[in-house]
Amino acid sequence: MYAGPVQRLIDELARLPGVGPKSAQRVAFYLLKIPTAEATRLSEAIVEVKEKVHLCRICFNVSDEDVCEFCRDGRRDRSIICVVQEPPDIVAIERTREYKGLFHVLQGAISPIEGIGPEDLRITELLGRLQGNASDPQVSEVIVATNPNIEGEATAMYLARLIAPSGLKVTRLASGLPVGGDLEYADEVTLGRALEGRRVIGG
Amino acid sequence: MRVDRLVLEDFRNYTRARAEFDPGLNLIVGRNAQGKTNLLEGIYCLSGLGSPRGPDSSLVREGAERALLHAEVARGERRIEADLEIRPGRGTRALINKAPAPGLGSLSELIVSVFFGPDELSLIKGSPEGRRRFLDDLVVKVRPTRDGLRREWERTLKQRNALLKSAPRAAGKQVLETLEVWDEALCRAGAALTAARLSVLADLMPFVAKRYEGIAGGGEIHLTYDSSWLTGDLVMESLAHPRGIDQSVLASELGESIEKIRGKELERGMSLVGPQRDDVVIQLASEGSDAGLLDARLFASQGEQRTSALALKLGEFDLLAEVLGEQPILLLDDVFSELDPSRRTWLSDAVRAAGQAVLTSAEPGAIEAAGSGNVIEVVSGQLRAG
Ligand SMILES: [Zn+2]
Repeated sequence: MYAGPVQRLIDELARLPGVGPKSAQRVAFYLLKIPTAEATRLSEAIVEVKEKVHLCRICFNVSDEDVCEFCRDGRRDRSIICVVQEPPDIVAIERTREYKGLFHVLQGAISPIEGIGPEDLRITELLGRLQGNASDPQVSEVIVATNPNIEGEATAMYLARLIAPSGLKVTRLASGLPVGGDLEYADEVTLGRALEGRRVIGG
Repeated sequence: MRVDRLVLEDFRNYTRARAEFDPGLNLIVGRNAQGKTNLLEGIYCLSGLGSPRGPDSSLVREGAERALLHAEVARGERRIEADLEIRPGRGTRALINKAPAPGLGSLSELIVSVFFGPDELSLIKGSPEGRRRFLDDLVVKVRPTRDGLRREWERTLKQRNALLKSAPRAAGKQVLETLEVWDEALCRAGAALTAARLSVLADLMPFVAKRYEGIAGGGEIHLTYDSSWLTGDLVMESLAHPRGIDQSVLASELGESIEKIRGKELERGMSLVGPQRDDVVIQLASEGSDAGLLDARLFASQGEQRTSALALKLGEFDLLAEVLGEQPILLLDDVFSELDPSRRTWLSDAVRAAGQAVLTSAEPGAIEAAGSGNVIEVVSGQLRAG
């Protein structure tokens, strides 16, 4: 245990994903040594991202406006929605340049171990978009691009069961993505091929 | 296949140790509790299958953040470097020739070993868990690409159990909706794992039978798969024709069993049927006895049990040698002292016929039978070439 503020910083850092107690300590002591201006820049960046960036009202991608760039863009194909777990997955799919439709970010995947059920994801909002409204009038296909791991597959199956009865086409990325991994780390060639070779699921 | 060099860092009682192995016989000597077994364990861990002694959190030396294992391996003309980093709570990572490997299965492709320890009798008379582990490890040794099957199964089971456990506290409809999804995932993962188990068991059987007959000088050993959700006929059919196993048939069998028991599962808050409860049954028939096949766990003498354990391990060795086209590394942990002279002869013949073998013993005399070779002495976590 260290004196109050130092320990508090270590504790806060240790809560970040992928940071263990030892690396939290290392980062804390690094921060102690940097010039005050640099530390201020870091803390301001954190506050700014919390104040200015929020989730798109329609697709739940990160956005500095009420509606994100993809939902605003009139040139995107509005008949197709690609469902992903997290905003970085959108970046990965955009890198392939294979996809011109809209997105929907679930903000996670079904995982009972972590206490995450369908009600904790943006599923109701997705179903709302599929029923047709001003911003998504004519959706005909939903691509489920959740991660190729157990939780991502279960989420895909769940969505397929929910959506298929409505007659919409539900597709899943073709296999070939590294199993167990995160979509955001897949290279663009593999991901592009997986998009192209997507297959109908559920129903 | 052989390991030329092994470097251990913060592994068990080793702060840092480096061992050079001969292509043939290697003898690790030293008093008890100096770290002899940990050397064998290090080689086995480098095959990506965890500790041969079962899941253990103390692989990392006390006070250290992670353990590092490094091996230089020779496969035919190829020289390959393999690294394993064990980080408790943050997973295990593998490197091949210094580049990150996609998974631990890449190590299983490289290093294949058979471990035989002093408590191998538990393979015969111990809990089903040990026999399932034996089979599941063998699945990966035979086909490293199947490395994900067990992990996928375990993760799916854990997810479904977490859901069943949360069911009483959550809103009914949504839990049941999600449960159907996990049922389907469980059936698929369970069928894939079981198909792999049945197929490797079928492959193993003739090799074990041959070894048993040789060691016991007659009699018969029979291995079968015991499962509460598969009919005996389907098991027999699958073992007789392992190439014809249809995973979708297994999945629907498991689905039907789950259907019947789901009410009880919701009540108890856990999965009650599936491959996590299956077992391998080892049956013996003695020569000249008309009692037929008897369960080795219940009815075999201590001697017959030792013979069965030895036959299983040597059968594993023979199967792997055939599948790989070269001999796996043989790791024998203090087994000679436990065996009577005739079984000792069988084992030392096997050692002599093997490629690379690494043996430990507290009494140098006990392994003389196996022949002479490279001697490494272990004194409290320090290695000396003998
Ligand atoms: Zn949007």
